[in-house]
Amino acid sequence: MPSLPPRARAPAAAALAAAALAVPALLAGEFELRFLAEILLLGTAAMSLDLLVGFGGLASLGHAAIFGAAAYAAAIASLAWGGNLVLVLAAGILAGTAMAGVMGAVIRRTSHLFLLILTLLVGQIAWEVAFHWRDVTGGADGLRGLPPLGLGPWHLGGAGGLALLAGALALVATLLARSFVAAPVGRALVGAREQPLRMAALGYDIPRIRLLAFLASGAIAGAAGALYPFVNLYVGPGSVHWTLSATLMIMLVIGGTGTLWGAYLGSAAYLALQTYLSAHTDRWPLLVGLVFVLTVLLMPGGLAGALRRLLPGRP
Amino acid sequence: MQDRDRAGHAAAPRRALLGGLAAAALSHPALARPTLAQGAAGARPLRIGMITSLSGPFTALGESMRAGMNLFLAGSGRAVAGRPVEFLVEDDAARPEEGVRRARKLVGQDRVDVLCGVISSGVALALRDVVTEARVPTFLLGSANDLARKAASPYIVRPTKTNWMLGTTAARWTFERISKGRVLTAGSDYAAGREFVGDFAATYRELGGRIDRQLWTPLGSTDFGPLLTAIAAERPEVVYAFFAGSDAVRFLRQWKEYRLAGRVPLVGPGALFDQEDVLPAVGDAALGAVGAFHQSPTAPAAAAFGRAYAATGKPLPGEFSTTGYVCGQVIGAALERAEGDLSDWERARAVLFDRPVDTAFGRMPFDPRNGQAILDIHVNEVRRGADGKMVNTVLHTYEAVRDPGPAA
Amino acid sequence: MGLVLVQFLNALSFSALLLLTGLGLSVVLSLMNFLNLAHGSFYLLGSYVAVLWLGAGLPWWMAFPAAFLAAALAGALLERFPFRGFYGRPHLMQVLLTYGLSVILADLMRWGFGAAILSPELPEALSGVVFVLDMPFPVYRLFLVAAGTLLAGLLWWGLDRTLWGAVIRAAVADRGIVETLGIDTGRVLAAVLVLSAGLGGLSGALGAGMLAAYPGLDEEVLILALVTVVVGGLGTFRGTVAGALAVGFALTFSRVWLPELANGAAFAAMALLLMLRPDGIVAPRQRQV
Repeated sequence: MPSLPPRARAPAAAALAAAALAVPALLAGEFELRFLAEILLLGTAAMSLDLLVGFGGLASLGHAAIFGAAAYAAAIASLAWGGNLVLVLAAGILAGTAMAGVMGAVIRRTSHLFLLILTLLVGQIAWEVAFHWRDVTGGADGLRGLPPLGLGPWHLGGAGGLALLAGALALVATLLARSFVAAPVGRALVGAREQPLRMAALGYDIPRIRLLAFLASGAIAGAAGALYPFVNLYVGPGSVHWTLSATLMIMLVIGGTGTLWGAYLGSAAYLALQTYLSAHTDRWPLLVGLVFVLTVLLMPGGLAGALRRLLPGRP
Repeated sequence: MQDRDRAGHAAAPRRALLGGLAAAALSHPALARPTLAQGAAGARPLRIGMITSLSGPFTALGESMRAGMNLFLAGSGRAVAGRPVEFLVEDDAARPEEGVRRARKLVGQDRVDVLCGVISSGVALALRDVVTEARVPTFLLGSANDLARKAASPYIVRPTKTNWMLGTTAARWTFERISKGRVLTAGSDYAAGREFVGDFAATYRELGGRIDRQLWTPLGSTDFGPLLTAIAAERPEVVYAFFAGSDAVRFLRQWKEYRLAGRVPLVGPGALFDQEDVLPAVGDAALGAVGAFHQSPTAPAAAAFGRAYAATGKPLPGEFSTTGYVCGQVIGAALERAEGDLSDWERARAVLFDRPVDTAFGRMPFDPRNGQAILDIHVNEVRRGADGKMVNTVLHTYEAVRDPGPAA
Repeated sequence: MGLVLVQFLNALSFSALLLLTGLGLSVVLSLMNFLNLAHGSFYLLGSYVAVLWLGAGLPWWMAFPAAFLAAALAGALLERFPFRGFYGRPHLMQVLLTYGLSVILADLMRWGFGAAILSPELPEALSGVVFVLDMPFPVYRLFLVAAGTLLAGLLWWGLDRTLWGAVIRAAVADRGIVETLGIDTGRVLAAVLVLSAGLGGLSGALGAGMLAAYPGLDEEVLILALVTVVVGGLGTFRGTVAGALAVGFALTFSRVWLPELANGAAFAAMALLLMLRPDGIVAPRQRQV
């Protein structure tokens, strides 16, 4: 394979991944395509969480609140003004960034375990709002009857269209996340994780850096959240609940923190396990738990870490 | 940091290619679909897909529903209208997104002919659009009022109650037999709770009664002490309450702990006193309480089912085992009346709704506007049975209660 | 007047329950910095043991030590493998390990005890009410308050005033030096974990009368315990007590005053507390390096 210049390598890899995914997409049926879309969207959300967890060292249990807020915003916007893709994405990104901003501002002086619980509390407040504000969010029953997604003359709400959109989003989001990490603010974020006292001494405004990380992460999660209701034509308070935050965290750790693309592997592995195992045995939670434990014991770097070690390239 | 192989080429593109090929192989329908079992010569197998909760808060209820359906299938020799039955069960963990994914899997990948089940109304409502779009006949068992109204669908048949049916009959009973004023309502603050209490309050007020206070508590409360203390301070003539599952168990036990049991009459939708799910865990805390329910272990129509259920070693059946069984009966009737062929669903539906179906809930006619069953609602009193255990005993039956339907 | 007093007692008894659930977690988290998300599973195991014990007609007061032992045994087995290797690992790894184990344990318990909701038959001595200004208040809840206070007191005394407690605290603060004194710190840390698990089981047995036992309770209890311990502040028992009181009163009075916003209001209050005091209510004095 000809050697590519460094800056073209990541986009080239991404393009090849897209092409590789397009091949089965042409062959697969309705269910598989929607499943793929779901994997990609949740993977993007987990990837945005990686910015916080893997690079910032900020373990947050409120990420579902960001993702879910975007989902609700997109659903409400589409119910009011139709399923225009641009409108939906804008609504989702705005809502996600706003919620992330609130979270980033709230956690100013907190860290580690306290951050975990504080984000959990904020997330659950968001859940209570979604659960009780029946007039706007549909309460416990959620919102149904969403109009199909479209952009001008193109109908994008079908299984194929959704998978394509999700794939495109995943690509763009990963590229954006990579550039964030490579940018000075991303480097400062990692620095704040590794040596907070030294960074503070050097004059970096740590709360501001963390807020920026939250905003970036929120925008990406917001975009993913915006498309999510259209996969199932439904959004409910479950999309805001802390158990989804925990699920995203688990996907991330299984896939491998700090790698960005590992989140997609984790999402695929987790969702595939959960969907396909339960049809065969009642004891499927046991098996899923076993997979977590084995991952931690045998593959602390997650699937991404294991793949990196298996494939030649690392010295 | 880019990975490089020995020749110095970037490893990333190769990785992506491998991943893509693997995904392609695994996701191809031919490899992913399970192999179909060969049915009896000539008779195409009937695939029934059930979506129910086998993990999460409704686990016990989901297991009961599955057991009920299995009992029906066993009793009919695992064949319906001459077609052998393949019964697939998927777990929705009471989460709507999960339920929708399972439904799509059953329809798209497993190619079921008929869908059924669902306990959580959230899941049921989320499924409505999916099954209507996929044009799959669905025997949907959630009980939110909207399922018979705004969310009705020509592809959905509902062989079970709506929340309205229970709330309104409880109001009628309370007004006629217990008290015309000084009723206090208490409920879990979520969609079902609001419907159960709201419908009760509306009917009670229409009849001329007066509601004293309406108290709410969050879903999944661990401590009912504050609520019960408030009730004790109010000293109402009767309390109408709705809680489900573990909330019901905790409420009833603490109801007894706070010395309200036996002193203040307690009325509620039957789910609060479910024979299988709640009563065994609360001892005599619910003794004397009155529930409005479409299901009762002492109802005459359920006698045969009750015996069959007991023969499998289980105690008296509750709502969900009976509902699972009834669902099977209705699916069976649908297929028999359509002579084993559901491909023309419009015609099969018309034939199904033409006459009532005989089920363990009694004679069940359907409302052709929304596929909603018209049910007999019993008023059960919790009494001590011959063996000392608590039994929901039928006091009175309101016959042929019909949900107002799409116009409401 | 009686109403207010009883609501106060309701809050106090709920706080006692939170204290009980939080104590075991607090022990292992404060002392060993080990985030054990399987704590809820120990609680649930203790609850099931208590339910079965009381249902079998055995002497009721022995249900609690039985639950303690059962959970302690489970803790000892898990400590041997795989907890032992994870004490020094980052929290996130501990989280995944213990969460995975809690999922496995939850399913095993569901397999063994069934999915139905079980509740214990409380003995005569713990049933009944006392009258507070002619409002009834259950004896069982007073028992919870007493048990919680006693247990917290015992633990504090054991860790703060006895030699064994000193050894534990020293082993956690500087393992190497304690080793040079000839004490096997591995066994000390294992003992702490076993104690924590046993406490989880014991609190499950005590709380079963109030919360019942069913699959899914482990997750609910874990969240309550985590919030209690963290809001209170790590490192001291006073912290956990403060956390239990704060969370218990917040959740109870939000239900009394704002029933429709109950949980939301309580969470907001707790979040505010954490924002104002980022290291919990009772924060240990830290030296800035």
